Amino acid sequence: MKIVVLGAGNVGRAVVDALYEEHQVTVIDLDGTRLAMLSERYDVRIVEGNGTTRDVLRDAGVEDAKLLLACSSREEANLVCAMHVKRLSSALAIVRTTSAEYLEAWRENEIDVDFMISSELETANAISGIVGIPAARQTDVFAEGQVQIVEFDVPEGAPDGPVIGRTLREASIPPDSKVVGVIRGGDLIKPRGAERVLPGDRVVIIGSPGAAREWSQIIAHDEQQVEDIVIFGAGRMGTTIGGVLLDRGLRVRFVEARAEQARHVAEALPRARVFQADACSRDFLERERIGKAAAAVFAMNDDPKNLFAAVLAKAYGVRLTIALAHEAGSLKVFEQGGVNVGIDPRQITAEEMVRFAHDPRMRQLAMLEDDRFEVLDLTVRAESELAGRSFRELPETGSMIGAIIREGRAIFPHGTEVLRAGDRVIIFVEARRASLVERTL
Amino acid sequence: MLKWVGLTFMVPAAVAVGYAEPVWPFLAAGGLTGAAGLLLDQITGEKRGAAVGPRESFLVVALIWLLVPAFGALPFVMGSVPQLSRPVDAYFEALSGFTATGATLVPRIEELPRSMLFWRQLSHWLGGMGIIVLAVAVLPRLRVGGRQLLQSELAGPTEIERFAETIRETARRLWRLYAGLTAIAMLALMLVGWTGLDPEMGVYDAVAHALSVVALGGFSTRTESAAAFAPVTQYVLLVIMVVAGVNFLRLYRVLVQRHFYVLKSDEELRLYLAFFALASTLLVLELLAGGYASGEEAFRTGVFHAVAIMTTTGFATADYTAWGPLATMTLLLLMFVGASAGSTGGSIKVIRHLLLFKLVRRELEQTIHREAVVPVRANGVVVDERALRSTVVFVLLYLLTFALGGLGLVVEARRGGTDLAAFEAFGAAAACIGNVGPAFGFAGPYGSFEPFSDLSTLICTALMWLGRVEIVPVAVLLMRSYWRT
Repeated sequence: MKIVVLGAGNVGRAVVDALYEEHQVTVIDLDGTRLAMLSERYDVRIVEGNGTTRDVLRDAGVEDAKLLLACSSREEANLVCAMHVKRLSSALAIVRTTSAEYLEAWRENEIDVDFMISSELETANAISGIVGIPAARQTDVFAEGQVQIVEFDVPEGAPDGPVIGRTLREASIPPDSKVVGVIRGGDLIKPRGAERVLPGDRVVIIGSPGAAREWSQIIAHDEQQVEDIVIFGAGRMGTTIGGVLLDRGLRVRFVEARAEQARHVAEALPRARVFQADACSRDFLERERIGKAAAAVFAMNDDPKNLFAAVLAKAYGVRLTIALAHEAGSLKVFEQGGVNVGIDPRQITAEEMVRFAHDPRMRQLAMLEDDRFEVLDLTVRAESELAGRSFRELPETGSMIGAIIREGRAIFPHGTEVLRAGDRVIIFVEARRASLVERTL
Repeated sequence: MLKWVGLTFMVPAAVAVGYAEPVWPFLAAGGLTGAAGLLLDQITGEKRGAAVGPRESFLVVALIWLLVPAFGALPFVMGSVPQLSRPVDAYFEALSGFTATGATLVPRIEELPRSMLFWRQLSHWLGGMGIIVLAVAVLPRLRVGGRQLLQSELAGPTEIERFAETIRETARRLWRLYAGLTAIAMLALMLVGWTGLDPEMGVYDAVAHALSVVALGGFSTRTESAAAFAPVTQYVLLVIMVVAGVNFLRLYRVLVQRHFYVLKSDEELRLYLAFFALASTLLVLELLAGGYASGEEAFRTGVFHAVAIMTTTGFATADYTAWGPLATMTLLLLMFVGASAGSTGGSIKVIRHLLLFKLVRRELEQTIHREAVVPVRANGVVVDERALRSTVVFVLLYLLTFALGGLGLVVEARRGGTDLAAFEAFGAAAACIGNVGPAFGFAGPYGSFEPFSDLSTLICTALMWLGRVEIVPVAVLLMRSYWRT
């Protein structure tokens, strides 16, 4: 498929990384050096110029492109570019935006693009999902919320229990859930009946939201539901996260050092409590008993600051720390530093954009472990050779079906279940084998 | 603008003709005023292009409220009205009229000619909503400086921005509502008279009291104020006072635009009604406990006075100066509450109490949580920090002016040998600066300010003036930086 990407920033890079092997990608950007860096690493065509002008767009070959991913950080440029592309070709136009107003206008069909993705809102929803399952490293929902995928870290030194330490065949795994992958020392282990979940493992499960919560209990049973949360940094990102969490009924406190921003968030979110203070001020943290909070989100614009504040908050007793990363290497640093969950908003945005490049049958996609693994939501074709076979007989494709949606209801299949044409399957797969799975089903 | 004020004298002149009383004082006063207005036009003629800026608007407001009553006092002086012919007294009475205060120097009101009485009532009505608001609404091609002018005259901190497209339209809407309410009040009062429910209420009294009550003034054509009329009339007046004490911008939304949700959600309105309820309960209890009244009369009297004093009208159905300390204290405190912002009432206004309360709460909150950022909201809308500061400053200025006024009255009473208790001095000062009208002691609802010396009368006049323009426009004139370019 021919795909045009506007913007070679962090989002553009993540998008290219996910797409360049399978598709013919052209990247447009104003900055020649950024483009050069991109083309050194990936096999893509680059066009230096202003993507809001028709000449540049024609030069990039939008006329016969199937997909436009406008993911530069300048949202007006993204919009203008998409408008032109809608005129010049029949390509799907996907636009990244940071503005809640634009998003709302698009939802009301006032802006003529095919899809609009807000980094802030996607990130906020991701955090909302994690807070719902405090032990999770990452989580995503599929099939209108019926199916949830969760990635857990089993703590080092976790005692053996009904699940941990037993073979999967014998373990009392919560019903309506399935272990689809175990990652040990960076390697994927196929979760066969004889395998065990051990301390230090990273486990990926697919299950119902209720089962996901049970898993959370099993992995870290002392953790209760998060009811109050502190958000450090009240920029656009922090404010959006706060809004989503408030709507979920959580108590939200903001800590923001800039007077103007603090005032702004206090005015925008009447139900939140706002403090104008430095995230690293010990006096403040102690006085306001921040350590008593169940969870904290670090949404400042400075990665080192996010890390420092997160570690500090952890030292004061915050159970769950979630830090946002803005630079490529930060997630690894966060993990090393002991942050519970690191989130890269650009990665999340890219994930949302990339799914439009997949098979049109595909409804949704999630990326795990820096895109080493993907979770796909696919419908089984009638001519698929796998239709009509029981799960026990399915061939080894390096993938694992976690759930099927049949007649609108989610089923978490056992070995005897038969795959039918028309089933929607939620499938965990190694990224490099994703296209193979797509072809077979 | 002044020349147009001259025209308003035609109304009492017509009344004078009707009652076969001398017409000439009104015609002469009208002529003089008109001439002065034309002269002013000539003087300022060359600077016509210069509109009234935000800075000038303070001066304009302060001066207009001094000048218009001065011309309004002319008929009293020229007609050598008994009890009012001395210029100091006439000016006091006229200013009390235009500022819708209702404090009077006339001990025996019935002795005044009917046309003069009518002029007193009409001055209430003209001043009630604001002279400038009236001028903007009615007069053709008046050069309006901007919102500031209207804002500085409208009572209390109100947002006129979101009300109508233009200033003129805002002013028109306000006056249409005001005139409509007056018409309803007239009709209601006439009906009471016609149906024989109140034999005392004739057409003349109905019109006179309607003009006074909608402006929340307090002048009456009777010495005994509302007590001269039947209980039904008192209830009618009560209801009109409550309605006229509501913010007219809100009232317009409810009555004309039919946005009834405003009634439920408006915080100022809720506090306004809560103050009523509290004050009424206290008064009724005191009346019953003290044996001043019983049954329905206690209820009616208690509620009536709570409303009359709080809305700064100043009507009375009984001589409350005779009541116990709980009642007099309640009434004195009520004088500081006032009606809603954007109504025709005076004093501090309910919205400022609301904001002060919220400010105090925030201050306490920030004592506990030093870094907390807590915007103050009224009706869910964030109130600008500057507006909050100016509210605090206003209330402090108000209290300072009140204290100085009270002190001045006591000093003058000592000098002049008037018998004035400290409570009465404070009462008079509060009643004047709050544009309430009747105070305590000899200046009570059935009495008058007549025993005061000339200097005391002037102090009271100044207080009424300051209260009406809400002090700040005058206070900025005292700043040296105001006069520097």
